[in-house]
Formats: sequence, structure tokens, C-alpha cells
Amino acid sequence: MKKIFGFGLILIVLLFFILPGSLPAADVKIGVIYPMSGPVAQAGIDDKHAIELALDIINTGKYKHLNLPLAKSAGGLPNLGGAKVIVTTADHQGKPDLGLSEAERLITQEKVAALLGCYHSSVTETASMVAERMKVPFFNPESSSPKLTRRGFKWFFRSSPHDETFSEGMFQCVQDLEKKRGAKFKTIAVMYEDTLYGKDSSRIEKELAAKAGYKVVADIPYRRSATSLTSEVQKLKAANPDIFFPTSYASDAILLCKTSKDLDYNPQVIMAQNAGHTDPSFVEAMGKDIDGICSRTEFSLDLAKYKPMLTEINELFKKRSGRDFSGTSARCFVGFFVLCDAINRAGSTAPEAIRGALVKTNIPADQLITPWRGVKFDETGQNILVDAIVIQYQGAKPYTVWPFNLASKEMIFPIPKWSERK
Amino acid sequence: MYSSEIILQTVISGLLMGCIYALVAVGLCLIWGLMEIVNFAHGEMLMLGMFTSFWMFALYHIDPIISLPLCMVLLFLVGVATYFLVIKKILKAPFLAQILATFGLGIFLRYLAQFFWTPDFRMIKNPLLSGRIGFGGIFVGIPELTASVITIASFALLYWFINKTEIGSALLATSEDREAASLMGINSDKMFALGWGIGVGCLGIAGALISNFYYIFPEVGFPFALIAYVAVALGGFGSIPGSFVAGIIIGLVEFLGGLFIAPAFKYTFVFIIYLLVVFIRPQGLWGRY
Amino acid sequence: MGRNKNQWIWLAIGAILLLIYPLILTLPFPRHLMIMIFLYASLGLAWNLIGGYAGQISFGHAIFFGTGAYTSTLMLMKGGISPWVGMLAGGLISIGIAFIIGYPCFKLAGHYFAIATIAIGEIAQQWMLNWDWAGAAVGLTLPILPESLINLEFHSSKVPYYYIAFGIFALSILITYWIDRSKLGYYFKAIKGDLEAARSLGIDVTRYKFYALALSAFFTSLCGSFYAQYVLFIDPDSVFPLILSIVICLIATLGGVGTIWGPVIGAFILIPISEFTRIHFGGGGKGTDLIIYGFLIMVISIYQPFGVIGLSKLFKKKEAQ
Repeated sequence: MKKIFGFGLILIVLLFFILPGSLPAADVKIGVIYPMSGPVAQAGIDDKHAIELALDIINTGKYKHLNLPLAKSAGGLPNLGGAKVIVTTADHQGKPDLGLSEAERLITQEKVAALLGCYHSSVTETASMVAERMKVPFFNPESSSPKLTRRGFKWFFRSSPHDETFSEGMFQCVQDLEKKRGAKFKTIAVMYEDTLYGKDSSRIEKELAAKAGYKVVADIPYRRSATSLTSEVQKLKAANPDIFFPTSYASDAILLCKTSKDLDYNPQVIMAQNAGHTDPSFVEAMGKDIDGICSRTEFSLDLAKYKPMLTEINELFKKRSGRDFSGTSARCFVGFFVLCDAINRAGSTAPEAIRGALVKTNIPADQLITPWRGVKFDETGQNILVDAIVIQYQGAKPYTVWPFNLASKEMIFPIPKWSERK
Repeated sequence: MYSSEIILQTVISGLLMGCIYALVAVGLCLIWGLMEIVNFAHGEMLMLGMFTSFWMFALYHIDPIISLPLCMVLLFLVGVATYFLVIKKILKAPFLAQILATFGLGIFLRYLAQFFWTPDFRMIKNPLLSGRIGFGGIFVGIPELTASVITIASFALLYWFINKTEIGSALLATSEDREAASLMGINSDKMFALGWGIGVGCLGIAGALISNFYYIFPEVGFPFALIAYVAVALGGFGSIPGSFVAGIIIGLVEFLGGLFIAPAFKYTFVFIIYLLVVFIRPQGLWGRY
Repeated sequence: MGRNKNQWIWLAIGAILLLIYPLILTLPFPRHLMIMIFLYASLGLAWNLIGGYAGQISFGHAIFFGTGAYTSTLMLMKGGISPWVGMLAGGLISIGIAFIIGYPCFKLAGHYFAIATIAIGEIAQQWMLNWDWAGAAVGLTLPILPESLINLEFHSSKVPYYYIAFGIFALSILITYWIDRSKLGYYFKAIKGDLEAARSLGIDVTRYKFYALALSAFFTSLCGSFYAQYVLFIDPDSVFPLILSIVICLIATLGGVGTIWGPVIGAFILIPISEFTRIHFGGGGKGTDLIIYGFLIMVISIYQPFGVIGLSKLFKKKEAQ
């Protein structure tokens, strides 16, 4: 019995070595690297659904009425003879070294034309290092650390805004609010989870606060996946800032909101940094308790007012994934189209050709579901036509409240106290 | 620097959370006391308890406090099943193999949960136990308060069971000297299964209580389990009252350390307290050796 | 005598195969896979010195790995010092940490010691997450230097990395072999077998436990420095996490603790399994690869509680017949 077991084990291990890892060639293959397991696996899964929807639109030609790049063709990439786009997905489990090795494997063994990913800024950093070294285009739809486009890389492209743009937007919104409502803010508090994302975002917030003349009365890094946030919220209560700036992923955002309610913490303004605070799970879990929370984001469903195709696309996405588009999945969706559009314009899967096409990208605003002025990259690979917007939850739904000319609802200020709400 | 209100609030919250930590820890303590096996799948079993509570609510609209007995029974069965399917086979194995078998089980359960229920975060909305009681400026969450009351009751029940009933004595005897106990006619196999059942059953209770105020997803168990391991060691392996007191201490240290010193290090303070205690008393507070 | 000669032949064949492997398989992934196997085997062998031979179960070894990674990286980034020197420095600092941890912890009994190592590991990780001078949560990105042996950076090919990893691996095996056969190893095994008896024989138990931990720490630290130079990015979550400590223990245990080849076998089985299940099943997001991984760990622990190396005894028995 044991001998069979032993041989079986050796056989299984050997099998893995000889099992073919790659799909049949011919179509255009894109390598996608996202977290498919671990605490933020839901983000990876959302992105996967967004990409699958994009593939459906690009490859089948069923949605010619949508004003998206490549939707109007009969199916596949027209400049490559109708070649279909296929995707092979790798799980980086949140680990930078896995991002690195998967990027290498996808390029050298799966022979992908380009890479897309990785959500976590730390993983994007290492994976794109590989792409740069191997001279393969790396497309980043959503990592927000500013330094990613400041490395002097030639093969790295980022379609979405980074933390500085977002944070500048938030502070602009705050200052606009001051002017409009005659308020005067003096103090802020930042609370952020102890990863690269939290650290980067809070650093920028503190810098901008200093520039705007606000005093930081509480600077609270916290351990993510904490079993409670009571002490943290207590510190906030004691510091009593005019504006509270949290940076959290979904799980902590849920706990934070709940703890604030339980401990009766009533800040006048909450300005969140996206991620957890715009995650559908957060909205679903907390319901009306999230009312009043503002978040910078790059996407909101009520933009359908200006982008009618958004409603239909969201319905298609919802059918696949059971959830609405969020900032993360929307950016992934847009990013994927930008990449495929570039490959099409290149007319080939040669890396240098794709890179050349990416550099020349100029996608107009009406072909995007995100509220940007378009997609155009500067010499660092950053999309310079990005804009941040600020949403606020009212009645458990997010509404654009800033810029005021795009706003669908007036911003509620100050946030009603817990005792005043029903 | 902080008002007495805020300090008092923190102390109360710390005590309440400490009770919950204690409840999660007691199952671990029981299992270890009985057969010296550390259950590295403890967090994942807690997660199963929480999910049971959630699905009862989401599918059948049964409130967590009402489905609590069901969670307890279901997790009891999970414990017994784990014993017969996994643990029994490694009773004679070296300590490391035992740890790793339960570790493998933990990973298996965690990703099985992801497979069936996705990694999405769930929350039980507006359970019967929600809201808070306020007096002065102090707020006590009703779910947390109830959880503490039930925890204390569970501990009392467990203590009574182990020390005052016949089966309990048999369990105790088996844990102290397996051979002597079996010479006296006590079936150690049944005792171990019972021990696992009760130990994991406690997680069913804890899960049902925690699901009233915490989010639920496949990775949720680990932070609680980590604290539970420290609590059992701090209280002394094998001492049930020790686990209880240790849980409370951890809750207080975490909350007060987080408030007065630095929230980023609140778990660090817990670990430091553990190290300080065992350096002075190597057997923990009330350990057996 | 005949059996010994057989062993050397197999060893030589194995070594030759491993040495020519990167020349035959020229794609990066197979080379990367083997580098990871070497790395984890070395980590497992290092852990084995304290956990397998001396019987002190540690779940905090990541602290040494991280110390090695951060020491050599910080010395490079802040002082321009060659990573080889940094590697050595990291090893020495790790020995220092082993000393500080060891003496208070060694009087703790098995389970308490294990939890203490978890506690220390977690404290270290949390500290690094907040230590701004060392990069804190943002981590450290190593500067891209011209590739050379002194810089320990290679960009055009993985082959030099491969041979350095092989070197560390071979060194770890040699050290383990030497300890296994030496008086030091004899003392370690005595301590593991029966503490009181060892003490009564006059063995200074604490001192020898410390030697085991110091050696273990040093080699774990070397691996950490190598890792930093290989991946060129480190942060507290990738080099100090609890899961890494557990995996190191897993590799040694699954293979067979207290043996020379146990951790090696453990790495050769566990790493390919986790890589291949993730590649073939991980992309779907259903966690299938990890379900398989967890299941396999359970099965191996249950059916081969002394490690897969127990299977080799089966073959030896057959031979003897």
C-alpha cells in the first residue's frame, strides 16, 4: 500500500513536469496577473469577470451598438485578420516574488504579447521589472502608487490615476466645499492600513494637508485584518478632526464603519481613498450606515447620465459576476480595451510594435466608461487625461458629488450624527 | 489626554472582546489538554461556524442567536468527524506531523470555503442582537455584551461538565493518564472524539456570536485563531480557567495598548505580554507543567 | 562497503544532473523552479538543525530570513557595500538575534517555545512594517546595478543565480552532514531524545541548543540575502511573514526531520506541487490549487508521519531482502 502511495506521489510530481502549460497559439494572447486567492481575492475575481466581458465584446462582434473600441468589428482584432484575443490568468497570491516569476513564465513560456495586472502596487512593481527587462509591454489598469511611473521605464503604461492625482482631487473637493458652504476646516486625521497602499496614500494626504494649511491631529496606522478597531476609533474621537481620511481595503472598511456607529463617532466629513470604501461588498454589508461617506474614485454608476452605454454594460457585468462595476473592475475593463486597441493598431503582436501603438494611444472620452477626458500617455507611461471624482453615499447608493459640474447630487455636509439618523 | 469616558469605554470594550477571545481559546485548550494536539485548523473551523450562522440567516432568515444551538451541534459533529477522519490516524505520530496534518486541514477547509462561497465579504444585516446600550458616554454593543454573557455561561457550563459530571470526570481522567483510564474501562477513543466535539462545538457558539458584529469570509478565522493560540499558552496549556483569564487579559492589553500607545502595535503588546509572562513563569499562568 | 559506494554514485549522478540542468532547460521558469527548490531546501535544512536535530520546534524562522534580506539590502542601498559582505553581516546579526531569543526561550517547554517563536516573529514583522528608515510597509527596491558577481545581480540570464543557489544548497547539505556525524550532532540528538538524561550526562543543554539555533539562523539568513538579490524587491510581508516560517517547517517535516535528505526531499516535492497546482488551477480564483495543496499536506502527514523519507526505508528493506 505504502509503496503504491510512494510511486503514485513520484508519478504525480513527474506528470506536472511534462504536462503542457501553454494553449495552442494563433490568437493574440495576453497574460493577466491578479490576486486570485488571499484576503483581496474578490478584487482579482472582479477583474477576471471584467476581462471576460471585454473578451466577449471584442471577440464576438455581438455588441456593435456599444461605443467601445473594437466593439464594432465583426469579431476579433480587425487589423490582425480577425484574430481572437485570449487571456491566460495567473494568481500572484499577493506576493511580489510570485508576480515576478509568473511574469517571466507568461512571457517566455506562454509567449504572451503583453502583460496586464497586478492590483497590488508591490506586485506590479516586480512584475513590470521583468517586462521592462524582457522588453514586453506591461499594462497597469489600477495600481495607484505614484512611483510606478517614476522609474524611467519605457514599457510600462498606466491608464488610471495614481494616488497623488486622487488625493489632489480630494483636497480640491474639500477646498471647493469650504468655499461653497462657507465652512472652515482646520484639522484632519489620517487612518491607514499598514501596507504599501496605506502608507503611500497617507503620506500624500499629509503632504497635501500641510500645503493646504490643515493640521494633522491624528496619524493612525493600523494592522489590517484587525479583530477590532475600537482603540483606533477611540483615538479619532479624542482627536476630533474636522475631516477624517481613511485608507482601507473592504474588510477593514466594513469594520471601521460598524465600529464608528457602535462608538458614536461623528466626523463632519469622511474622505476615503477608494478601494475598500467603494467595494460592492462594503456597500452590500453596511447598507445605509455608509451614508455620508465620501470617497475619491474614478468611476460611479450614476455617470450613466453622461454615458448612456454604462447602464447596459453594467447589466452585462452584473449578469456575469452578480455585482455592479466598482472602481477596480471598471478600470480593469477600460484598461483591457486600451491594450487591445493598441495591439490592433499595431497590426502585429511584436512587442516593439505594440509599444509604439501604446505610445500613440488617443482614445476619446466617449469610448470610456470612466469619467476621464480620454486616454493618452505621457513619456513616463502615465495617462494624463485622468480625472478623479468624489462620490458620496446617500441612501446606500454612491452619487457623484464633485466636481460640482458633474455632480448628480448635492453633497451632504456635515454628515448627520448617528443619533439623528434613522 | 483621554477623557475618563473614553478610557472606561476602552476598558469595557476590551473586556467584552476578551470574552470572545476566551471562547475561541477554550476549545483549543480542551483539545490540547486532552491529547496534546494543537489544532492548526482552529481558525478555519471558527470560520465554518460563522458561515453556518450566515447561511442560516441569508437562506432561511433564522437569526444568529436562534441558530446558535444549531451551529454548536453542527460544529460538534465537525469536531467528531475531524477526530475520526484525521486525528485518530495521527495519534501516535510525532508532534510535528500532527501539527502539519491539522495545518493542511486548515488550508483545505479555507479554500473549500472560497470555492463554494467566493472570497466575498458577508455581513449579517440587522440581526436581532444589534444596536447598543448607552449610559453616560459609554456605549456597549448589544452583540458584544450578549457574546460575553454567553461566553461566561459557556465557561461555567463547561467547568461544571468537566468537574461535576461522570463523563466529564472520564474526560479528565483520560487527559491525565490515558492508560490508567482505559484500565478503568474508559474508552479513550470515545473520549477523544467527545473532546474534539466539545472543543469545536465551542467554536460553533463563538462563530454564531461573532457573526453578529463581524464580517465573514474564508480567511476570517486566522486573526482570531492566532490570538487563541497565544491565549491558551498564556493561560497555560491544559487549564480552562487559564484560557479564560488569558483571553480577558489579551483583550484589555490590545485595546488599552492600542489606545494609549499605538494601534499599529496593539497585537505586538499582546505578544510582548505573553513573552514576559512565560519568561517569568514558563508554564503560563496556570499551566500543568 | 558495497552499499556506501552505491550511495556515492547516486550522489554524484544527482549532483551532475543538477549542475547541467540549467544548460539543458534554458527557459527561465524551469530554472526559477529549481532555484526555489534549492532555496527552500536550504531553508528546510537550516530549520532542521534546530527543529529536527535539536528538537526545538520554531515557527519564527522568518525573522532570520528577513534579517538577512534587509541587512544586505540596507548595507547596499545606504552604504554601497557588496551584498556578499552584507550576507555575512546579516548572518552574524542573525546569530546575535538567535542569542537574544534563545537564552530566555530555551527554558520553555515545547509548545510554549513554539508559541514564543510565533510571538517573536510577529513582533519583528510589525516592527519592520513601521520602521521608516528601513522602508516600512513600502519595502525596499534594490537598485539595478551592472551585472557582476560582486554586485550579486544578473540580468541577462538566471544561470549565475542558479549556481549560487546550488552552492548555498550544497553547503547546507554539507553542514548538515557534518553535524549529523559530529559530536555536536550527537549532543543535539541527545537533547531531542531525552532532555533530562542529556543533562544528567553533563551536557550543557542550553549552550548546545544555542549552537543549533545559531547555525540555523546563520544559514536561514544567507538564504534571505540571496532572495533579496534575486527578486530585487523586499518588504516585511514577503520576508517576515508567519506563513513563511510555517512553510519552512512544513518542508523539513514533510520530507523527514532529523535526517540529512528529509528537507531536500520535502522541497523537491512541495515546491513543484505548489507551483504546478497554482499555474494549472490557480488562475480561476476558485482556490482549487490550494484545496489540493492542503489535502496533499494532510494526506502526507497522515500516511507518512515521519516524512516522505520514510518511503526510502521501504526500498532499503526490499534491497535487504
